Amino acid sequence: MAKPHVSDTNLNRRKFIQYGSLAVGSSIVAACTGGGSGPSESTDLGEDPIKVGVMYSTTGTIAIVEKSLQDATFLAIEQINTGTGPWEANGAGIAGKKIEKVVVNPDSNWDLYNQMSKRLIDEDQVVCVLGCYTSASRKSVLPVFEEKDAILYYPVYYEGNECSSNVFYTGAAPNQQITDSIPYCYENFGPKGFFIGSDYIYPKESNRIAKAELEKAGGTVVGDEYAALGTTEFITIINKIKAAKPDFVLSNLVGDSIPAFYRQFKDAGITSDDIPIMAYPTTEEEIQAMGPEYSTGHFTSFNYFQTVDTPENKAFVEQFQAMFGKGRVTNGVMEAAYLQTFFMAQAMKQVLEEGGELTPGNIREATRGQEFDAPQGKVKIDPDNYHTYLYSRIGKWKEDGQAEIVFATDAAVKPIAWSQTLYKGRVCEHTTPDDRSDPTKETGKDLEPVFL
Amino acid sequence: MLAFDPSSVFLSNLLLAQEEAEAATGGLDIVTLLNQALNGVGIVGILLLTGLGLAITFGVMRIINLAHGEFIMLGAYVTFVFQDAFGMDLLMTIPFAFLVTAIIGAVVELTIIRRLYGNPLETLLATWGLSIVLQGVVKLIFTAQLKYVKAPPYLSGNLPLLSDDSGGALISISYYRMFIIVVALALLGVTMYLFYKTSWGRQIRAVTQNRDMAKCLGVNTKLVDMGTFAYGCGLAGVAGAVISALKTVAPPMGQDYLVDAWMVVVTGGVDKLIGVLAGSLLIGEANAVIAFILNDPTARVIVLAAVIVLIRYRPEGLFTIQKRS
Repeated sequence: MAKPHVSDTNLNRRKFIQYGSLAVGSSIVAACTGGGSGPSESTDLGEDPIKVGVMYSTTGTIAIVEKSLQDATFLAIEQINTGTGPWEANGAGIAGKKIEKVVVNPDSNWDLYNQMSKRLIDEDQVVCVLGCYTSASRKSVLPVFEEKDAILYYPVYYEGNECSSNVFYTGAAPNQQITDSIPYCYENFGPKGFFIGSDYIYPKESNRIAKAELEKAGGTVVGDEYAALGTTEFITIINKIKAAKPDFVLSNLVGDSIPAFYRQFKDAGITSDDIPIMAYPTTEEEIQAMGPEYSTGHFTSFNYFQTVDTPENKAFVEQFQAMFGKGRVTNGVMEAAYLQTFFMAQAMKQVLEEGGELTPGNIREATRGQEFDAPQGKVKIDPDNYHTYLYSRIGKWKEDGQAEIVFATDAAVKPIAWSQTLYKGRVCEHTTPDDRSDPTKETGKDLEPVFL
Repeated sequence: MLAFDPSSVFLSNLLLAQEEAEAATGGLDIVTLLNQALNGVGIVGILLLTGLGLAITFGVMRIINLAHGEFIMLGAYVTFVFQDAFGMDLLMTIPFAFLVTAIIGAVVELTIIRRLYGNPLETLLATWGLSIVLQGVVKLIFTAQLKYVKAPPYLSGNLPLLSDDSGGALISISYYRMFIIVVALALLGVTMYLFYKTSWGRQIRAVTQNRDMAKCLGVNTKLVDMGTFAYGCGLAGVAGAVISALKTVAPPMGQDYLVDAWMVVVTGGVDKLIGVLAGSLLIGEANAVIAFILNDPTARVIVLAAVIVLIRYRPEGLFTIQKRS
């Protein structure tokens, strides 16, 4: 690199500057990749803390979502450690022990999720892991957790059709999000649905279930389009929507594609009166980024909205904004990340109070059937299939970027891991105590909805 | 204006073709297809806008600039900051986006690029690293949350080009897309004027063609290099500001435009600025038409493959000038 005219003394100085700037640059990168930007935490964790892995990407394309899941998780851990919020009655810590969070950042790279989960389990020896967002990352770590018999709490609505003895699913199963929203679209908007999504497992599987539901209800699928993850150019898909003249659009676009799609949808001259969009991954957070003027009149089906009227939710929103800033909004995935941390803490408390060791087996048995007064209402881990009883709600977005809840179940709905439209009568029932045998059972019957 | 001719000719042709076709088939399909061709023009506008800065830093200066997308991102964030802090209209933030990104570009040239001229591999690594650092710094300052940029209200809505009997628009283009095309063409015009009609442009071309000779003739090559790189980065910043209201503003957003910008510049040819227009027209319309017939991901694969084949047989791109080596 050194040019001929550079003198020797100059070279040293120049080298120094080069290495110096390199060091500054890399320290900036290190600061970004570490969990350093999080809020201040209580430093004193006392004797023998409980190590818990927190695995969300804070860099890369999915960071936009996963960072807020990490924030919600940090809030819950802080409340457990200090004995505030929903944990107030239990005192600080879990039976006197604090949680020590071991934070890793898999950089939105599916392979890194796999490696980092191995690291958390083998080297850091964490008791369990809270984390993952995309189905791709969950599929990537699933073999690790099953092989090492470790426990993962997974806070995301997903496509279902999975059942593991090592994962507690605290986001919506298909029957808690898709099953109610499709008949709602059919009755309120009309029979013709146009399905769009990002091009990976979750949107494709979720749309496959939704399409089957629509056909079962008597409607027709007039379009089915996918865009690469991270795409922000939707002019072609919007033109296809215009040409197909559907009664509604069902969107499973995720991440930074969402604001771009809604903006271009309105920009193309389609209003929510012409063609309403029913979406699953579009939440308060994306609405805030796109500007509420683009989302007004469209719909989202989710278990939780910031406008849910419960005292627990009021407290949750207040505490979250106190910790992370007044301008922040809360959404359904964050709420799931928050509530699952309490499921975990309650299970640990139960194990410790019964004098047991915090082994994966003990935590698994203790987590089954845990109940919690979450912001969305009372929820419960299903002891049979390790999914969660959750409310099913549909929100219509208002001009202020918040949702008006136009449909809600009266109580939390029992989760069904397998889509009943695709796999009629297939259920998941783990044995008690769980011997980790195949939990899939074929009943061949129609399942009736069960409420908590 | 020179800039407007091609598109208006294109539009009137479209209308003629549409009327003929409708007489023949009376169908809806041709309307949709024409709408799609028009949509393609919208894509072309964005490609042209995002590719123009790279046409200068790579096309003219031969710097393999992998941080180009990040300069687009910086432009979008400048717009966000000025809008958020001072309540400025998006249009008013454009000069600031140009200035701030140009200054950052000048600093980058002064501290990094200047030391690496003639070492393409090191430049590639350095700018790649720079792109990671810039993303990281923006994330530290603004967090990873998506940011909201307000579109000017007077640019919302559509210009109907053809209506059905009841007055509903059959073929229309949104004002915002038109605005992007106008900005892109105007910037191309200004840049071409600067490069071919001013003494600064002559100096730039002299330096790129024969650096030593230009130096001997008294051209301050260092200043020219810095100015040109800063200008290229400034154009990327303008692109970021303009698209911020239609796309998503987030730290990794630049990556989305980097590949497209490279395809446009390489396809069009790196020697002539007008190649950017040809490249974006070709890639934008090909993308639009193929994506309409098949789907988006497939269209990307086909277009990328086509570009690879093209540079295999025409490594200099479509528009080249014969040079004595």
